[in-house]
Amino acid sequence: MSNEQLLALLPFMVLAGASIVVILMIAARLSHTAIQVAGFLMLCFTVLAMGYVRDILPQEILPLFIIDGFAALYTGVIIFSVGVVGLLSYIYFEEREENPKEYYILLFLATLGAAVLTISRHFVSLFLGLEILSVSLYALIAYLRNRNNAIESGLKYLILAALTSAFLLLGMALFYMETGSMEFNAIGQKLAGSDPGVLFKLGLALMVVAIGFKLALVPFHLWAADVYQGAPAPVTAFIATASKVGVFAVLMRFSLAVNLQQSEFLLNVFSGIAIASMILGNILALRQQNIKRLLAYSSIAHLGYLIVAFLPGTREGIEASVFYLFAYAITILSAFGIVTILSTRMKDAEDLSVYRGLFWRKPLLAAVLAVSLFSLAGIPLTAGFFAKFIVLLTGANYNLWLPVIVLVLTSVIGLYYYLRIISTLFASAPAAEPRHKPLHPFFHFVTYATLFVLMVMICVLGVFPGPAIEGIRQFLMIR
Amino acid sequence: MNVSDILFYFLSALAIGSAILVVISRSPIYSVLWLIVTFFAISGHYIMMNAQFLGIVNLIVYAGAIMVLFLFVIMLINLNTDAKPQKGKWLRLAGTVAGGCLLLVLVAALKNTEVKGMGVQVGTGDIGLINQLGKALFTEYVVPFEISSILFLSAMVGAVVIGKK
Repeated sequence: MSNEQLLALLPFMVLAGASIVVILMIAARLSHTAIQVAGFLMLCFTVLAMGYVRDILPQEILPLFIIDGFAALYTGVIIFSVGVVGLLSYIYFEEREENPKEYYILLFLATLGAAVLTISRHFVSLFLGLEILSVSLYALIAYLRNRNNAIESGLKYLILAALTSAFLLLGMALFYMETGSMEFNAIGQKLAGSDPGVLFKLGLALMVVAIGFKLALVPFHLWAADVYQGAPAPVTAFIATASKVGVFAVLMRFSLAVNLQQSEFLLNVFSGIAIASMILGNILALRQQNIKRLLAYSSIAHLGYLIVAFLPGTREGIEASVFYLFAYAITILSAFGIVTILSTRMKDAEDLSVYRGLFWRKPLLAAVLAVSLFSLAGIPLTAGFFAKFIVLLTGANYNLWLPVIVLVLTSVIGLYYYLRIISTLFASAPAAEPRHKPLHPFFHFVTYATLFVLMVMICVLGVFPGPAIEGIRQFLMIR
Repeated sequence: MNVSDILFYFLSALAIGSAILVVISRSPIYSVLWLIVTFFAISGHYIMMNAQFLGIVNLIVYAGAIMVLFLFVIMLINLNTDAKPQKGKWLRLAGTVAGGCLLLVLVAALKNTEVKGMGVQVGTGDIGLINQLGKALFTEYVVPFEISSILFLSAMVGAVVIGKK
């Protein structure tokens, strides 16, 4: 391996190193605050390292990895989400009686797993990345063991993820049997020019089970609501953003390498999944009173919208999907940020009644939540609107009329339940409760500031999306 | 039909039969014991493909270490006859139907596939020998080798976090 290849892996090494740093700090019995600050610094180093290696991209590390602009974009979204999740975690875990320190090790390891997925171009690295991500998530989901459904949801995720891993492995074995290779490009070359064989289709069907599970697409979505509800709020935010970005990135890379979208049959399968996810996700969310479950169903629907951008399999599709994921990450992080900050010592703020009249008690938080819900619903002047718009545009350019029409119709259904929550925010308030003095004024300030910045980003991306799109284009040139 | 064919069919039948018994045994102890038989059969396959090292490692790690761990865990949980898992009639029916459908789809899809002359090289391959394996692991696949150590780290931290008092 040459120096430059090693250098290109630097951001990933820093991420792996971050977990070791946290382990050593725990061994030295340093405080939660010190670990939080060190973790944040390590993430900053990762970002710096990514900027540092930008000029030597793209680098291929045969046969496993390719570090190009595509990977850098998705990794960037992952690192950004984890940074926000880390900032939100401090107050949440500091107020729980249990020891919060090991949480950061697992968070960094899960991030590394998701980041490895974005650069992998070989089934071995795909599987390793996916397993690092899932194994860390098992423990993260069940982290607050004394809660009622923490262990239950952790176990649900464990069993289902292990089952789908088995499907994934069998799918890989069938690909290998058909093409004699585990590397994406080599598989693509073997298949070029001929209609994909039965083994390939069967292998892909088995792989779709695993990928669909991770992305919570219908009909592999059954875990989503329970796990979202049972996991601690910052972990839920992580599952909703970083883990899905990583898995989607590898799905995109694989489909581009093997020209998945060229096959009429496979295209129909994926549009079917997208349509089912959009419809079912939105309908299930309609009558939901629990905000974490509601966001879970809405994330099913949003991943369905995202698959519409995946369908063309062209550069426009990639651009649209990156922008969509970025906008979605910001939006869902600010929504879960509110859930995190309103959670009390014993219970997450998941019941809709907690949010009744929030505007009259905490106007800033209510404004952030309202803006993020508007963005999820896709109201103009928010990032969510523009993201949905370019997804629609890409779909319409490639004559994918059925998914596009379903996207528009289901967005209207979605509007109903997002507006229902927003109207709750402005309902007449119950009697004001006594104000608690925050235990950690500095970190409270940091969390509020983070949420405020996220809100501003949603609005800016919704009004001036041009620079962001241009940046995405430039990164995608690096290939 | 020469000896290696007979051995292959015998080992395959043994592996599939004992794997089915793992699933349908009522007592978890029997399941574990049948699983050990399965691992032995799979190790036999490895040895037939001239992958002695993989076969032995498979035995030591799975049949040796992990199965003993399973047995100990079952012993510590102290399952008695009252603690049988409660499974509804409908759930069982649904499971059977779903599994049967998967079987049918697999059979229907695979019935016409020919494997284009990529049969297993019985007794002549060298990929599972310790020399080849070491070279592959420490040159071409050195990065995933390192990454898998991180995978173990995350599993270890997770187990400690969940398991501690």
